[in-house]
Amino acid sequence: MNDIGVNVVLTSGRTLKQGQTMEMGKLNQEYFEAVAICEVDKSTLEALGLEEGDPVKVETATGSVVVACKLDRRAEPGIAFMPCGPWANAILDSDTIESGMPGFKDMRAKLFAAKGKKVPTAEDLLRAIMEVP
Amino acid sequence: MCDDIRIEVENGRIIKNENGCAISKAKFLNHHDDRIESPTVKKSAVSLEEAIDKAVEILASAKRPLIYGLSSTENDAHREAYKIAETIGGVVDNTSSVCHGPTILGVQESGEAAGSLAEVKNRADTIIYWGSNPQFAHPRHLSRYVRVEGEYIKDSKVNRKVWVFDIRKTISANIADEFVKLAPGRDLELIGALRAAVRGHPLDVEEVGGVSMERITEIAEALKGAKYGILFFGLGLTQSKGRHRNIDAAIRLIQDLNSYAKWNMMPMRGHFNVAGANKTSTWQTGYPFAVDYAKGYPRYQPGEYTAVDMLVNKEADAMLNIAADPAAHFPRAALKHMSTIPVINIDPKRNMTSLMAEVNIPVALSGIECDGSAVRMDGLPLYLRKVVDPPEGVLPDRDVLKMIHGKLEKVVK
Repeated sequence: MNDIGVNVVLTSGRTLKQGQTMEMGKLNQEYFEAVAICEVDKSTLEALGLEEGDPVKVETATGSVVVACKLDRRAEPGIAFMPCGPWANAILDSDTIESGMPGFKDMRAKLFAAKGKKVPTAEDLLRAIMEVP
Repeated sequence: MCDDIRIEVENGRIIKNENGCAISKAKFLNHHDDRIESPTVKKSAVSLEEAIDKAVEILASAKRPLIYGLSSTENDAHREAYKIAETIGGVVDNTSSVCHGPTILGVQESGEAAGSLAEVKNRADTIIYWGSNPQFAHPRHLSRYVRVEGEYIKDSKVNRKVWVFDIRKTISANIADEFVKLAPGRDLELIGALRAAVRGHPLDVEEVGGVSMERITEIAEALKGAKYGILFFGLGLTQSKGRHRNIDAAIRLIQDLNSYAKWNMMPMRGHFNVAGANKTSTWQTGYPFAVDYAKGYPRYQPGEYTAVDMLVNKEADAMLNIAADPAAHFPRAALKHMSTIPVINIDPKRNMTSLMAEVNIPVALSGIECDGSAVRMDGLPLYLRKVVDPPEGVLPDRDVLKMIHGKLEKVVK
């Protein structure tokens, strides 16, 4: 794995495909393909030596998760986006600052190329969380 | 939530959804897919009565039960959930604690400049989407209320101006007349600078929140020049740094702008009845979310009785989840605690919470397989029609919750 990372502000939110596939079933392949992704700009892909669809490791102070990278042609360097869902939430800090609301929108994250690594399914993620003592 | 979709049913199956957006079509046309097929206890199929008995046993023996969800079901089901919370002395929270909870906190601090979507359609000439991407999250919002002719708007392209404020150039930003790109987590500062500019006192700095002061002054003048302005705001404002303080500031900006022009604001709500969950919770408990009945009467404390905090602080010792999927939408630490306590999951479909729940009870899909009422993002209550029968033996949420409450009343002293 390439150990040179790219620092980004990671934000999460809705996408049309996330909304559609969520209604079809969260354990389906369509939802997995729509949500287990991280959208970045072209220069970030190049810096990491990745092609669209390659696995990328997204790391925050809370943990890391491997998802497929996706090119967002409108994006600019420094900001990465993940659709809201289990993969983005696996690395989300749980501190709500006494508001009830975790900071879904502005996580400090680092991206690493993760060629050869498997993107975990929703079931894999859940199993990993439940098994860690 | 759209009020104009036309559903065609053939042999008990939905075959067509006219007018609905891509999300609505996916929901209606795939409603029979991926269902929880039978009530289960520890993954073994049981009868509905056995599942309810197990749920009652868990809830009655819990010291600090948490009831959560409610936003994807209809209002009558909510009433039963509040009754359960009162009977067992539990906490009841809805999904707004992880979406527009901060909006409510802001409104409690500074008031509510509310208007209806019909007013927007007929009158609004200046429309702002702040931290919101309607083309993806609410795909018909622009076409129904903004890029459409209204009573006083003859040509929506000429007579309306759409602004998008966001940290990314989203698909909605791409089609807006004006896009203001701000730095992540700097919304509060930018709103403050806008307020100063609106009042005629531009700050003596080069830029605020990634936007030049010159541009901020231009924006302030444009907003003051509106005949009817509306600020639609999304989770980009409520979930980012500042939370409810962002909303508090946005409300005060709108109050300031009302010295010059008519302005309102409206949260872009997510789940189809999350606005209803806030209304019914307020009607029944006095508070919109994060309500604790431990002392026998309702108390309100976001940050303490909110679901994520109840789980992360390892306070909840049992969880009843209705019409939501916290295992998919909560942070890892909350899931970790969920995995150590008994979870009762009431939902039509399989999801991540159903995978970890000790008890699963399938129910009818509100607004498809049972009727009810729900509340649109502007506060308008709408009647949901039943369009097809639920699978055999599957009841609406309200009936299942009523059965649980009925049994709990007999066992909880």
